[in-house]
Amino acid sequence: MNSIEKIVSKIMFDPRARSRILFILLALIMIILFILDIFFGSVTIRSADVIKALFTDTGSNYETIILKFRLPKAITAVAVGIGLSLSGLQMQTVFRNPMAGPDVLGISSGASLGVAFVILGFSSNLSTAGIAGIGNWILVIAAWIGAGAVMILIMAISSRVKDIMTILILGIMLSSGISAVVTIMQYFSNETMLKAYVIWTMGSLGNLTSGQLQVLLISLSAGIILSFLSIKMLNALLLGENYAGSIGLNIRLARILVFTCTSILAGSVTAFCGPIGFIGIAVPHIVRILFKTSDHKILIPGTIFTGAAVMLLSDIISQLPGSESVLPVNSVTSLIGIPVVIWVIFRNRKYSGQF
Amino acid sequence: MNTSRYISFKSNRSCLTFLFLLFAICNACNRKSVKETLNNSSSGIQLITKAQRFKIEKVDGYFRVNIINPWQGADNINMEYYLVRRDSVLPAGLDSADVIFVPVKNIVCMSTTHVAMLAALGEENTISGVSGPGYIYSENLQKNIKAGLVADVGYDSGINKELILTISPDLIMMYGIGSESAGYVGKIRELGIKVVFNADYLETDPLGKAEWIKLFGALYCKEKIADSIFQSEIRLYDNLKAYISGNATERPKVLLGLPYKDTWYVSPGNSFISKIITDAGGEYLWNDTESSVSMPFGIENVYLRALTADFWFNIGSISTRSEIEAVDPRLTKLPCFLKGNLYNNNRRTTLKGGNDYWESGTVFPHLILKDFANILHPELFRNNDLFYYKKIK
Repeated sequence: MNSIEKIVSKIMFDPRARSRILFILLALIMIILFILDIFFGSVTIRSADVIKALFTDTGSNYETIILKFRLPKAITAVAVGIGLSLSGLQMQTVFRNPMAGPDVLGISSGASLGVAFVILGFSSNLSTAGIAGIGNWILVIAAWIGAGAVMILIMAISSRVKDIMTILILGIMLSSGISAVVTIMQYFSNETMLKAYVIWTMGSLGNLTSGQLQVLLISLSAGIILSFLSIKMLNALLLGENYAGSIGLNIRLARILVFTCTSILAGSVTAFCGPIGFIGIAVPHIVRILFKTSDHKILIPGTIFTGAAVMLLSDIISQLPGSESVLPVNSVTSLIGIPVVIWVIFRNRKYSGQF
Repeated sequence: MNTSRYISFKSNRSCLTFLFLLFAICNACNRKSVKETLNNSSSGIQLITKAQRFKIEKVDGYFRVNIINPWQGADNINMEYYLVRRDSVLPAGLDSADVIFVPVKNIVCMSTTHVAMLAALGEENTISGVSGPGYIYSENLQKNIKAGLVADVGYDSGINKELILTISPDLIMMYGIGSESAGYVGKIRELGIKVVFNADYLETDPLGKAEWIKLFGALYCKEKIADSIFQSEIRLYDNLKAYISGNATERPKVLLGLPYKDTWYVSPGNSFISKIITDAGGEYLWNDTESSVSMPFGIENVYLRALTADFWFNIGSISTRSEIEAVDPRLTKLPCFLKGNLYNNNRRTTLKGGNDYWESGTVFPHLILKDFANILHPELFRNNDLFYYKKIK
């Protein structure tokens, strides 16, 4: 056996080596996609000009585009990808359901309700002159309040209800109820407001001011730290709540920790960027398939790299390089995420052993 | 009314549904194929000169009105109506379902532009229902609304059919923003109420849009007054345009609109507003584009072109500079922002959202043209007072 074969067989059969190689590959892909995201946008800029804008102070228009538009957008994409995927992974474990994600528990719709109150609610009572002037911050705070309220409600329910599936179903009911309220508000609002709201629901990465980006990154870091702290709990929860309880895990504390982490991650992303669908559900599955493990020590860092990479890819596609138009990023993530989800549903029987 | 902006994301319906609806509409409201209509269209005197979306012909004893493709994306749709005087006998061979007896005495207007045209003809008091009374600017009509003489009939598929039956208007002046409008209109027709689709908002020529006053003229037996209003509008508009093109030395570049997040819906170069800017001696930044709807462009793309703009118009519903900063702080770095050349069309507005620009501006496009000319070329005029526009401070 020569050395190359040795290495190959090691990669194939030694899960540790396999994970290590995968991490390196994923990190590389993420970095390449990050660079591509800066190089490609709806304005075509020559690579030389991009590099010049990044590293020298030319003061050209391209520099504004690169530094004020593309760089913050690419950083936002990384943050959104990581935040949503991590919260999706944790929810799937806690609910032991492959279809769980930040959308499902009503967190995203809670945030939508907050936003709808701001964008649409004022319209029926106040003048129309306000909409464009409504500060982004008010919008964000409203989304946080909405998401937080739903989380508190879910937590209150989960302290009384033992069965995690019941909570999941209640979450779905809650989001349906909320979207009914939002629909009523939409009906009574004027076209400008309606459009502003619909655009918000399409999701967007490119409208964060540097201050907002800071807040997003801070809450993301908090979420990532909490996720790493909860690795052991998550692994224990995979074995079932009864078993986890019997080995000394405080189930209620674990739930509160994971729910807080999830609502920080998903809530701030939704607040700043709108509801961006299917990343939260799909990315954890991609990671499980790649790493062939259910150990959160591997899954959490894997999800971080993969989530960032998928979101960057979605952003590059949504910019439609070479054309002046752009696509709503939410539809791109859905088109990437839905096939994964369908695949998971088809393989569910084989797959459900991991939950 | 600001309908055309809304259309852009309503238009992506599946082809099949669209075709099916198209079919349904042709059957429901026309009963005559387009071909047949075109065959016997030679018999009347054509009264319409500039508008693209409708025709009025004077035939023996009545007017024949054809509304052509009355909504975005409509293709080969032709709605035919016969306007017959109340006191005359119904001419033989006309389908009574398509006959409207004139003068109309009781009308429901779905768009503010319809209200403006009736106001110009002095027939505002015949309006018994509108869609969203808050959006009406006209003082006269506001008075009637306060007195409870005008009902709010709702909009789109939420039209209050029971209320409409109670009012039982002679006519509902409708606008269609997509093929789906035909669905709820069909129900109203079933109730025996006449519905006319008004496509003024689809006219890309300012004078073509203003010519729709002739439809109201014919409906109210005031065709001469309507014609004289329109002729004077043509004179005023064309004189002003000729004066500007003869005297303006440069063409300042003009930016329009406001982004929604990182998408900027850009009015195409063949739009109403682009034409007015050109006629006012300006150069619209997207003059070279052509589209029937506003185009969703990436913000960085728009920003790059916007850096060359001298003036910025129609900035959403904004009235202060700080509101622009709240939308996107990067916009405050644009040269036109730094120069303070910011103008919005909200000088004549009501607290509840009525804006005369969308109302009387349709009937009197020369006033919009004059505002633009005054802003872009102030040296050409002795008096620089603005009518619809105001400077954003």
